[in-house]
Amino acid sequence: MNERLMLAIYVAISACAALPAAAADFPTPLPAETIPKVETLPQKYPNTWAFLNYAGDRIELRNVGGDSREIKGELQAHDSATLLVAEQRPELYVLDTVWSRGVRGERTDFITVYDKQTLNVAGEIVLPAGKRALITAMEGLTTFTDDQRMELVFNFTPASSVTVVDLVNRRVLGDVEIPGCSLVYPTGNRGFSTLCASGTLLSVRLDAAGAVAGRAESKAFNPLDTDPLFTASALVGGIRYFPSLHGRVQPIDMRGDEVKILADWPLVTPAEAAMSWRPSGWQILASDESKLLYVLMQPDAHEGSHKEPATEVWIYNVATKSRVKRLRLVRPGSSISLTHGPEPLLLVQAGERLDAYDAHDGSLVRSMDLPGFRSRLQIESLR
Amino acid sequence: MSQLDEIAEKMLRGLAGRTSRRSLISLLGSVLTGAATLPLLPVARAAASDPPSATDPNSGETPPQTTGNPQDPGDPTKCDYWRYCAIDGSLCSCYGGTMNSCPPGTEMSPITWIGTCRNPADQRNYIVSYNDCCGGVPWGRCACQNNVGDRPVVRPQNNNEVTWCFGTQSQSYTCSTAIILGVAIDQK
Repeated sequence: MNERLMLAIYVAISACAALPAAAADFPTPLPAETIPKVETLPQKYPNTWAFLNYAGDRIELRNVGGDSREIKGELQAHDSATLLVAEQRPELYVLDTVWSRGVRGERTDFITVYDKQTLNVAGEIVLPAGKRALITAMEGLTTFTDDQRMELVFNFTPASSVTVVDLVNRRVLGDVEIPGCSLVYPTGNRGFSTLCASGTLLSVRLDAAGAVAGRAESKAFNPLDTDPLFTASALVGGIRYFPSLHGRVQPIDMRGDEVKILADWPLVTPAEAAMSWRPSGWQILASDESKLLYVLMQPDAHEGSHKEPATEVWIYNVATKSRVKRLRLVRPGSSISLTHGPEPLLLVQAGERLDAYDAHDGSLVRSMDLPGFRSRLQIESLR
Repeated sequence: MSQLDEIAEKMLRGLAGRTSRRSLISLLGSVLTGAATLPLLPVARAAASDPPSATDPNSGETPPQTTGNPQDPGDPTKCDYWRYCAIDGSLCSCYGGTMNSCPPGTEMSPITWIGTCRNPADQRNYIVSYNDCCGGVPWGRCACQNNVGDRPVVRPQNNNEVTWCFGTQSQSYTCSTAIILGVAIDQK
């Protein structure tokens, strides 16, 4: 008898011998289970969950507030896909581009409407073909306006325009030309602002049918040659804050139809500027929405380092325009977001990790895997 | 005249930072810096994996190549090849193309960006055109990203997050080439 056979017999005997004792421990067998069975999500997602958009290639819903670290669901994404999460309707909107034969064939730009509870497709809106900007998923490629009744889509062909979409009736309303300008930020009750290559901000007011009701262009304020603004922003008290490459912050009030470019102020002291402390990363800003602005900061910054991971998060009180805290990260981070619960977490994407810090005391609460991931994460914290 | 040339060259160099790579390429590009600075915390160790092997076809690494021309030195599958001084994307040399041709089955975008690179062999400055190849299979191999000169997308021509596959049948990005257009006027 060979050794393998002897081992098999031994295992079989051992299993039989153990059976009576195990059955005694568990007198009731496991119940038969239901087939088929598909998970559903709560009507309102906990504010300890967040959507993670992996550079527009994949979108997942994660529990970032518990040690179970579960992935709660996944949404399909192909090329520069972006996500909008509705609060007025139980819906999610993924803007994406596919070709009918993989990387070739007919191009389709489209918005998929998902039911938030089932993640089933509730509908789709096909956009005019071949116009949507294929840019790594980032803020400004799309936004809600009109109290989330409309979605605006930035197009780049390389001519710039904005497609206005009616999300309630799920149809395209039309296009707005914005020559020389890029990206969209919600403005007023129904409209958007866009950053222009002349250093100005163009603001467009829309009517209920999605047509242009008014345009206003600011004076040039964005010094693109010397210290351009990043296109990432954060809202504090309704004011939108854009950092600059060299460490200023530019507040812009887009709450009303009349946009106000407010006075900029420095994020760094002259001494810190001399040490080349500058904002850097990908999603480089977060806020508690009422008072505090969080900025990823990097020392010894130089030309070309503005997308590299940052070593610290600097926290500012925008009312006093002063820094209130410096948080040294356990690992250099590229994207940050703040959860909206009573005990907010500062989420930091650092290479293949998603670190969650206690936003109050700065301690590292937990660290989660982002297998295979490197950079360009968009974190969407949920309300 | 020489001053004008200098300005022109600076503009071309400025134009050269950019392009648009699909997100996959972008995300692979900035890895090395981040990885190199990871402290050895327990969680970091848990996330660590074996370094890529040059013999693994999925590693993104490739065995050394040469052009075979001593006047065109370097390895066209590596980011430090002289023509790639301003490249941003995946190197077509790793996909079945070369430094100046697209892989079979793709289409070269006629819309492009330009850089000026110094050839270390003949010490001449060359105008290099970084034409993208589109409609092929992208998988992030041999990704080179250089953010020097990259600027926010407000000036798209200076932004390397935009996909510059325009004027091609498919706008799906595959890889980038580096084609000599000629000797730069200014050789300083």
